[in-house]
Amino acid sequence: MTGVRLTRHVFGQLARTKRLVGLTLLAAVPGLVAWIAGGGESDVDKLEIYDIIVSNVSGATLSIAVLVLGAAAMRDERDAGTLPFLYLSPIPRWRFAIATWLGASGVAIIVAGGGWLVGWIGLGVGSGDWSHAWAALPAYLAGAIGYSAIFIPVGYLFSRAILVGLAYVFIWEGILTTLISGIAASSVWKTALSIFADLRELPRDALDALGPVLPGVGGGVAKLAGVVVVSVAIFTWALRTRDAL
Amino acid sequence: MTRPVEVVDLSKWFGQKVAVSEVSVGFDPGVTGILGPNGAGKTTLLRLITGLQVPSQGTVRVLGVDPRKDPGVYSKVSLVPEDEAVYPALTCRDFVELNASLAGITGRAAVDAVLEQVALTADAGRRLGEFSKGMRQRAKVAAALVSDPEVIVLDEPLNGADPVQRAHLIEIFTELGRAGRTVLVSSHVLAEVERMSEQLVAMVDGRLAAEGTVGSLRAAMTDKPRIVHISSDRPRELAARLVGLAGVERVAFAPDGLEVSTTDAPGLAVRLPVDAAAVGARLSRVSPSDESLESVFRYLVGSR
Repeated sequence: MTGVRLTRHVFGQLARTKRLVGLTLLAAVPGLVAWIAGGGESDVDKLEIYDIIVSNVSGATLSIAVLVLGAAAMRDERDAGTLPFLYLSPIPRWRFAIATWLGASGVAIIVAGGGWLVGWIGLGVGSGDWSHAWAALPAYLAGAIGYSAIFIPVGYLFSRAILVGLAYVFIWEGILTTLISGIAASSVWKTALSIFADLRELPRDALDALGPVLPGVGGGVAKLAGVVVVSVAIFTWALRTRDAL
Repeated sequence: MTRPVEVVDLSKWFGQKVAVSEVSVGFDPGVTGILGPNGAGKTTLLRLITGLQVPSQGTVRVLGVDPRKDPGVYSKVSLVPEDEAVYPALTCRDFVELNASLAGITGRAAVDAVLEQVALTADAGRRLGEFSKGMRQRAKVAAALVSDPEVIVLDEPLNGADPVQRAHLIEIFTELGRAGRTVLVSSHVLAEVERMSEQLVAMVDGRLAAEGTVGSLRAAMTDKPRIVHISSDRPRELAARLVGLAGVERVAFAPDGLEVSTTDAPGLAVRLPVDAAAVGARLSRVSPSDESLESVFRYLVGSR
């Protein structure tokens, strides 16, 4: 009961109209870019452009959108001085962490789903193929779920959470996990892409452009679950051992 | 027997700044005032007690457990934070219901009762963003009381409240203390603490300066002369007798009698009736004029 109420509260605090619209537009940028870039191309090329842009740009826009959300989940409460009302709830800290993640994930899924929807409409209108973009939806949702799990503890632990989050997105996810294949599994977006690549059945040359991504829905879901479990564990540890205010 | 709230050797520092230093103190049922000037460490102490901050050193026990390790204790502990912290978009009722739900309380009865208790029933449907500062304070008090806690921690709870609201809140807090709840109230306003607290903890520069009742603290200050006000119909004759008494440092005329400064108040109490009878003076009132909280506090701060 308490955990459910906390989830509802976090969802309600994050799901402000202006924020939702702004972040959904950010998440929709790849779809809009694909729409515009494929304007004069053949229908087959439009589909290929969509795949390339979704694969290479969505990770950045979605991660930044969810960073803003996830980091705000606890930081906004702390800045407003309202965190004590939540912190003094009599539930184990791991349940507190999961409830917070569920609330933030819910909003992140709306943002990611909205972003995907714009691309789906654009591709459908432009190419007449209304089924092609469906394979990207699980990747968007996986990104929303994984990134929200990562950025909640970042928001709790760091006063400059957005900067830390951006460093994570561009240095860790963008560079290191691309250069070092051994740590690629820790990248949320590469995990999401592994689901996308498997569902799309991308050819080998297209996969090479994605970096060290091994297609596989099952493996992707398992890696994502691992990221969520580790992130929730870190947030639980932070709640127990770090100052709430 | 374990005291409801106990801290031992508690310290908290932020980098080079020490906010609370080696504080050991226990709190019993009833209202305890935590007094100190701004920056004395009161808020940090309360945050440490409620588990919002992690001690750099020392231990905190609330109802026998460390709240950081056993958050289940929060079902019996409430906090009214100092910050003007509420959710402006929520109605007062929604805010109190949120706190009830987070404490595992279901149903409207408890919410209705605390809204009534803080006299916000009529305004329960209004958004907190529309409330005055004093009304927001009352809403926070309602949110803290909705779980019927055993330990209530109030950090400057009267900030922003008008005199009528203050009187009402003080009445609520003293009633909670009488009902056996452990109520910790911090304030830098001496008169407020004096009105609601039987017990006092004084903090200065992050350290525990004193603890006890106002009277006991004053009595312990044996190195400082006590000022006794004496109302009499023959002050001049009485002054002439008293000025030669052992321990009397100064005798001054006041509008309706005398003010005697003495280092031996018990001795004065024995000799005064005798000397008054000797000069035929009638004593209408004898009272310590500097036993107020303010004089105690000024002394504590000044002596450090």
